[in-house]
Amino acid sequence: MEMINEEQLLEELRDPRTGRRSFEKLVAEYSERLYWQIRKMVLSHDDANDILQDTFVKAWMNIDNFRGESKLTTWLYRIAINESITFLNKKRNQNNISVDDEDSFLLNTLESDTYFDGDEAQKLLQKAILTLPDKQRLVFQMKYFEEMKYEEMSDILGTSVGALKASYHHATKKIEKFLSEPR
Amino acid sequence: MKEADKRNPFTVPENYFAQFNKEIMDRLPEKEYVPPQTVSLWDRVKPWVYMAAMFAGLYITINFLTKDTETPLSSSQDTFSAISEETPANNYWSTVHVTEEEFYRYLEEQLVDDGYYDYMYNQLYLN
Repeated sequence: MEMINEEQLLEELRDPRTGRRSFEKLVAEYSERLYWQIRKMVLSHDDANDILQDTFVKAWMNIDNFRGESKLTTWLYRIAINESITFLNKKRNQNNISVDDEDSFLLNTLESDTYFDGDEAQKLLQKAILTLPDKQRLVFQMKYFEEMKYEEMSDILGTSVGALKASYHHATKKIEKFLSEPR
Repeated sequence: MKEADKRNPFTVPENYFAQFNKEIMDRLPEKEYVPPQTVSLWDRVKPWVYMAAMFAGLYITINFLTKDTETPLSSSQDTFSAISEETPANNYWSTVHVTEEEFYRYLEEQLVDDGYYDYMYNQLYLN
C-alpha cells in the first residue's frame, strides 16, 4: 500500500468537507496493524474487533484535538493500547482477579479460540507470554513479533528506551524459564 | 525460543479487514461542524488596549499621589527657608532698610529714655 503523507492526511481530516473521506483512508491504512496489536493483548477475535471499533470511534471524535506533537500512527497505537488495557482491567474486575495473578480468563480464551491455528509449541509460547504483566507482555510482543524499534515503542508507551530494553530482557528470561520447565 | 515461533498463530474470519473498513464508516457518529470563528480587529487588540489603559491609569494615579504628597512638603520647606531667611538675626539690614545713622539715633534715644526711666525709678522707690 502506498505510504500516506501524515501531514496532508491530518489537514484533510480536520477539514469538515474532506474529513470523512480521509478517515476512510486512515482506517484502510492502519486497521490491520492496530487489530493485531489489540488481538495479541486480548487474544479473542470478537473482543479485538470491539476494541478496534472503539479505537477508531475515539480517534474520529478526537482528531480535532490531536496537535500533531507525535506521529498519527503513534497516537492511534496509544488509543488502541489504552483501550486494550482498560478492557483487560475491566475483565479482571469482573472475575475478581488481581493484576499480579495469572490471567485465567485469557488462558481460557486461548484454549477455546477458534481463530487460532498455531501448533502446540506456539500455544505454549502464548501461554508463557500470558504469565507476563500487561506492560511487559506488550513490550515483548512489539519487539518479538512486530520487530518494532525501541525508539518507536518509547514514543507509543511513553517509557525510556533503556527501561524498554530491560523490560524485554526480563520478559525473555521469564519466557525461557517457563518453556524450559518440565510438564 | 525458535524463529519459527514468530509466525502469527492467530487468524481472522475471511475478508474481515475489508468488511471492517466498510462497516466502521457507518458506525462513526456525525460530528457537529463548528465554523471557525472570525475574530475582529477590535477583539484582537482589545486585551492590549485594556492593558495599556490600566497602565496609563496606574501611572496617572501614582503621579497624582506622589505630587500631592510632595507639594506640601516642598511648600513647607520653602516657607521655612523664607522664614529662616527673613529672621531679623540674618537679614535685618536687608529687610528693615535703615541707614546706619538712623540706627545710631535710635540707640541714643533708647539710652536717653532708659536713663530717664532709671532716674525716675531711683527718685520714687530708692529715696
